[in-house]
Amino acid sequence: MTGKDDDYNFVFKVVLIGESGVGKTNLLSRFTRNEFSHDSRTTIGVEFSTRTVMLGTAAVKAQIWDTAGLERYRAITSAYYRGAVGALLVFDLTKHQTYAVVERWLKELYDHAEATIVVMLVGNKSDLSQAREVPTEEACMFAENNGLLFLETSALDSTNVELAFQTVLKEIFAKVSKQRQNSTRANAITLGNAQAEQDSGPGEKKACCISL
Amino acid sequence: MAQTLGEDLVLSSELQDDSSSLGSDSELSGPGPYRQADRYGFIGGNSAELGPGQPSADLIRQREMKWVEMTSHWEKTMSRRYKKVKMQCRKGIPSALRARCWPLLCGAQVCQNNNPGTYQELAVAPGDPQWMETIGRDLHRQFPLHEMFVSPQGHGQQGLLQVLKAYTLYRPEQGYCQAQGPVAAVLLMHLPPEEAFWCLVQICEVYLPGYYGPHMEAVQLDAEVFMALLRRLLPRVYQHLQQVGVGPLLYLPEWFLCLFTRSLPFPTVLRIWDAFLSEGAKVLFRVGLTLMRLALGTVEQRAACPGLLETLGALRAIPPTQLQEEAFMSQVHSVALSERDLQREIRIQLAQLPKSSPGPAPLPQARLPGAQAIFESQQLARIRGSTKPEIPRIVVQPPEEPRPPRRKPQTRGKTFHGLLTRARGPPIEGPSRSHRGSTSFLDTRF
Repeated sequence: MTGKDDDYNFVFKVVLIGESGVGKTNLLSRFTRNEFSHDSRTTIGVEFSTRTVMLGTAAVKAQIWDTAGLERYRAITSAYYRGAVGALLVFDLTKHQTYAVVERWLKELYDHAEATIVVMLVGNKSDLSQAREVPTEEACMFAENNGLLFLETSALDSTNVELAFQTVLKEIFAKVSKQRQNSTRANAITLGNAQAEQDSGPGEKKACCISL
Repeated sequence: MAQTLGEDLVLSSELQDDSSSLGSDSELSGPGPYRQADRYGFIGGNSAELGPGQPSADLIRQREMKWVEMTSHWEKTMSRRYKKVKMQCRKGIPSALRARCWPLLCGAQVCQNNNPGTYQELAVAPGDPQWMETIGRDLHRQFPLHEMFVSPQGHGQQGLLQVLKAYTLYRPEQGYCQAQGPVAAVLLMHLPPEEAFWCLVQICEVYLPGYYGPHMEAVQLDAEVFMALLRRLLPRVYQHLQQVGVGPLLYLPEWFLCLFTRSLPFPTVLRIWDAFLSEGAKVLFRVGLTLMRLALGTVEQRAACPGLLETLGALRAIPPTQLQEEAFMSQVHSVALSERDLQREIRIQLAQLPKSSPGPAPLPQARLPGAQAIFESQQLARIRGSTKPEIPRIVVQPPEEPRPPRRKPQTRGKTFHGLLTRARGPPIEGPSRSHRGSTSFLDTRF
């Protein structure tokens, strides 16, 4: 690891979940590399990309994970969720079927991830407004009723992509800070401190891998 | 280097602006200047130059003639001279002859002959709407940079649609698995749809049963097997992976399910397929172990990967020079993993699988280890007079008491030391041997 990626205080693992074809891979590439492709390959294994953002004075490395959405891959992707502190549950707002299964995805998420995980419901492809099949109010209400954040995005024209990820990261950060305040440990971490709090293995010398 | 196939695919500079020179498939759907396709058809690809260690035109011609001769008397060749087939596959099938050899090796030719009209029926039948939507969404996402698959109306995407749809009709209980896309696409780059279909059937049912179905249970088993082999053969790499928390399911599924089409340079992928169709799943494990060693085999490499992300990144960042086909395949063929070793480890891991895991139990005995076993199985079926060759089907049943393996492994107790020591140099040519008097295929050890 070299260069600016070295200067971060925290690492937050965020997973992208949702049906095949809703745009997870392009949300990933838009946020981490500002790229979009109509022809990006179907995700078959596990993909990931990182980007470091500033939240206040803290540098946070967002570790974004992406995987196949097709049903049968669930059997082999349980390892995918390990250590995730945030999730973007993505549906395609021009295909109602991808929204109808959101509850199933939520269950899948809570079966495998920490209960405190920060979740945002994302209605993607907002650029295709004339083909909309999921009303904003309906999805917004569902999110509210289930304690989820909510945004509509377009990976194609970038609308709200930055905001979606930033919001999730800020929410995670707020939880982490609160947990720190409540912590009874003698040597609580301050925001400027780059030492690892717990022994997360020979890995992150400079940052904390947070699990809430 | 006279590569007629390559020359056909490479545009001369005068034709760069003429998108019709290669037919309808060369029309790009998006804006942008048209770029040259490499010898394999990849637009902007860099396989135009062949790497070092490539065989000379004379050698290629010699190999072509050998293959023509072997395939003209395929049954005799497989009955008596499988060792030669195996060696030639390891050296690489000449590109002009893959279309002829692959269907023979994997038994697809026999399937096709035994099922006249089947594919035509499947091709015209309406597909299950649920699968059709999923398949349709993926068509332009398989090899988007390959000229054959660029145009939605081109015969690449249409062929893919047809072949994948046919499979969901042929095996409705299996349905569609996204990894079948790249596999079928590579087949279609070489074969017409019907031949490609039967090759896909063989891969999904005979070479890798339990991979592409709804539960992918064999992938999970093979992931455990791979870890166990790593622990035995590359213990320090294994330790490192454990330390940073990289489990096999984070990298192995894409490797094995897609037969490395997504992970390695295309010429190397084709060489892997030559060996895989000849020798079976063992080749996938050997390739995986080789990649592990290339990425993480040294102390320095492991030290440069303090965490999970860096480690996974290292697996994807092996320098292309080390993946160049000749050097790479030479290392693959010298990995110390025999068919018997693999079968033994599979049995051990199968016994250790948690009984409570959902989905059906994997049936590793349904897997045939390569061309020779397939040939025997098809011969047997023919002798018994059945019209269809015995293709093992995935049967969902409660686990019984352990049954003896369906096929005895070809290993007969002797360990073939010639391929185990890398120090003896690339084993491609094999130890020199005089032609043995006995021509029984039972002599073959693999």
